[in-house]
Amino acid sequence: MAMESDMVEAEMVETSEFMELVHQFGVSGVPDTSINHGAGRVVGAVPEEHLLAEIQRVVA
Amino acid sequence: MPELLNQEIRDQVKQAFADLREPVEVLFFGSAQDCPYCEDTRQMAEEVVSLSDKLSIQVFDLEADAETATQYHVDKAPTLVLTARNDDGLKDYGIRYVGIPAGHEFSSLIHDLLRVSSRDSGLSQQTRAFLATLDKPVHLQVFVTPT
Repeated sequence: MAMESDMVEAEMVETSEFMELVHQFGVSGVPDTSINHGAGRVVGAVPEEHLLAEIQRVVA
Repeated sequence: MPELLNQEIRDQVKQAFADLREPVEVLFFGSAQDCPYCEDTRQMAEEVVSLSDKLSIQVFDLEADAETATQYHVDKAPTLVLTARNDDGLKDYGIRYVGIPAGHEFSSLIHDLLRVSSRDSGLSQQTRAFLATLDKPVHLQVFVTPT
């Protein structure tokens, strides 16, 4: 998605090193995707359309 | 320092890299301050890019190269930024790896290098159509563990 739009930045965060971020967003399982610093969230490796729907909800 | 990637992994990655098409440049951001995984991450990234002549790496320091770090929105170390290296310079696709890309993350990194090299996101038409009209910033953070 980041490749398709200059508005999108995608950051893969290795959690054991950045526990403060994990606590900040209440991450419990992985992969856990946060959209715009917690405004949206998708848990697990979900299909592309699920992530898209959550992004659309956040930016609407 | 001994190599981090053993011969078996190097052979597998080399095989995958046969599909690399266009050049990709990795920007590594480390820090001299409190960064236990910086050296391993830099070494791993250097070993990976050494497996193909289509890949290159630039090494930056979060503090010493603060301007470049700001330009790429990098504020944590280690961070890897994947960019497309074109004739007119680097194109930032907004893809970042924060922390050491070990375990599953290593496969994701290799996969993303191939993606950026193909210059094709592989997404559905529906997703592409939405992203083409997106006018607000979207910051995705995918939290993963190395195991």
